[in-house]
Amino acid sequence: MSDSSDVEPRPSRPAFLPRSIGARRGGLVLAGALAAVGLLFVWQAAGLDLGGIGLPGAGFFPLLTGGALAAFAIAIGIQLLRERDDGRVIAFGHRDVLIVFAAMLGVPLLFEPLGAYGTLGLFGAVLLVLIARTSFVRAGIAAAVAMVMCWGFFQQLLGLQLPTGPW
Amino acid sequence: MTGFEQLVDGFAVALSWKGLLYCFIGCLWGTIVGVLPGLGPLAGMTLLLPLTFGLEPTIGIIMLTGIFYGAMYGGSTTSILVRIPGEAASVVTCIDGYEMARQGRAGPALMIAAIGSFIGGTFSILGLMFIAPPLAKVMVAIGPSVEVVLMLLALSVIAVVSAGSRTKTAAMLVLGLVLGTVGLDNLTGTARFTFGNPDLAGGLSFTALAIGLFGISEILINLEQTETIKAIQPKLRELIPRWKDLRESSGAVGRASVIGFIFGIIPGVSHVVSTFVSYAAEKRISKHPEQFGRGAIAGVAGPETANNAVTGTAMIPLLALGIPSIPATAILLSALTIHGVQPGPLLLKDHPEVFWGLVASMYIGNVMLLILNLPLVGIFVNLLRIPYAWLVPIILIVSIIGVYSVNSSVADIWIMALSGGAGYVLRKFGYEMAPLLLALVLGDRLEDNFRLALTMSGGSYATFADHASIIVVASVAGLLLSVQALAWAFGYRKSFADQAEGA
Repeated sequence: MSDSSDVEPRPSRPAFLPRSIGARRGGLVLAGALAAVGLLFVWQAAGLDLGGIGLPGAGFFPLLTGGALAAFAIAIGIQLLRERDDGRVIAFGHRDVLIVFAAMLGVPLLFEPLGAYGTLGLFGAVLLVLIARTSFVRAGIAAAVAMVMCWGFFQQLLGLQLPTGPW
Repeated sequence: MTGFEQLVDGFAVALSWKGLLYCFIGCLWGTIVGVLPGLGPLAGMTLLLPLTFGLEPTIGIIMLTGIFYGAMYGGSTTSILVRIPGEAASVVTCIDGYEMARQGRAGPALMIAAIGSFIGGTFSILGLMFIAPPLAKVMVAIGPSVEVVLMLLALSVIAVVSAGSRTKTAAMLVLGLVLGTVGLDNLTGTARFTFGNPDLAGGLSFTALAIGLFGISEILINLEQTETIKAIQPKLRELIPRWKDLRESSGAVGRASVIGFIFGIIPGVSHVVSTFVSYAAEKRISKHPEQFGRGAIAGVAGPETANNAVTGTAMIPLLALGIPSIPATAILLSALTIHGVQPGPLLLKDHPEVFWGLVASMYIGNVMLLILNLPLVGIFVNLLRIPYAWLVPIILIVSIIGVYSVNSSVADIWIMALSGGAGYVLRKFGYEMAPLLLALVLGDRLEDNFRLALTMSGGSYATFADHASIIVVASVAGLLLSVQALAWAFGYRKSFADQAEGA
């Protein structure tokens, strides 16, 4: 049995997040995605009434612009392929960015079932705890105060009707 | 009714309690977003856009325009005190403004920036007042074919002069046009790209897309930067400039007012171009060019005056032609359209109260900003101490409520969140969001007028090259080329805009 002092410290592994992506490789993927969007519009527009060159139908303009988008995206891709890779990287997956984005995706899921003020109060409290690193109590109080202010301003002053949820 | 009488009526709207209150809110919020690094006028306007829906159109526009020019005032504060430009048009101010602050002269720099902004802003409003009405009268006579040509010209100029790669800008313009086709076709009522979803029948919500692409993506990018900001704190009594400062900057203010006014017509990055040209002009004219970069007051007065002088001119294409030349005016166009007011040649005839109310409020707003920005500069600097992580939930909650309130649709919150994520990724790879937004807002009208012009001409594409189109294109292109040549003559290069946008 070896003494604990004999144990070699584990080599520190690079953090999983944020991840660095090569600017050239990422740029190519993004250009590919834009080309795919363009082609999707071309494909869908082809199923609509295209009309004629002189009298265009509902599908003419989207077909034209979708094709142009795909063409520009391909041009960007070719430009990237012809450039020399300068080793530049772009970091993705910053902790706070991921938390905010995930929380925002949660909002539309809960907005009607839980009500606007319940959802947004929870959303605010979660962000305060996770990104502003405040205590649960402070975050809860701040979120409650913010929701009362939102209710007063939006509902009472501006007359906006927001979903009330189960209450 | 004469123009003067209409202006008096405009002042009656702007001086009503509502007009004053919302002008003040716009100016205050504009100053705040201008001060806070990372939150520019666009994000500021898109975030408050939904709040205008419950207001009368004139009052809503007064508030949004207040944010636009308020941000130009606020942007100088961080440039001078922290050396961080609050927005792209304040990049040049950092050079001499921060040097002055380091030498203990932050007060005069802020004062001259505020006075210059006031004079530049007021000068450009005069231009808006005198140029927009006659231009609108001429444009009433044009047909859909000329409108198509004008819009294509505006989009082409944006692709050429915008910051960043031209191919990427062109791709974003086309993406904006593509996204604009989602929903029911205006001419035939055919559903396009809705995939059976009734929420998409009215098209992708402009508000949700604008807030997502500009506001949310900007917040996500700012969250990656965690450094704390240390600002130089000027004392109130230090604000008063010396007689020498006033004398040295008066010429710069006058020249920059004219430069900003002329450059305001360039679609895309006019506010950035005008500041670089003004700085270069002052350096070239100065008897002591070696002082530039070491705290020359003319290096602060010129750019700050120029970026405010752009605000009025940038409104001319929007209000007289209905074509936004910069993203901020695209937001205004969207707000007016939501209120059922169509900007363009008929605006002055159908809704004179909107035009003249706005002009009057811009005079009042500039006075408010002068008062706000001088004695309260200490308070605005203290805003930089609020941790960004505390501001994020507040901004997001207001955005979500605002986006939902437009159509009472949860689908719009989805669009906002997803376009925010998409905007974040696109911006990380150097794609500009401004061209996308401008194309999105023009896309519908471009397509409708394109098809209408062809229908009216019996399918002849020669309609886009008729006498009127050629005259309009030649005059606009000639004007833009002369302004661009002037910028080149003063040493402006597109790379400056790229650097400014990246700052």
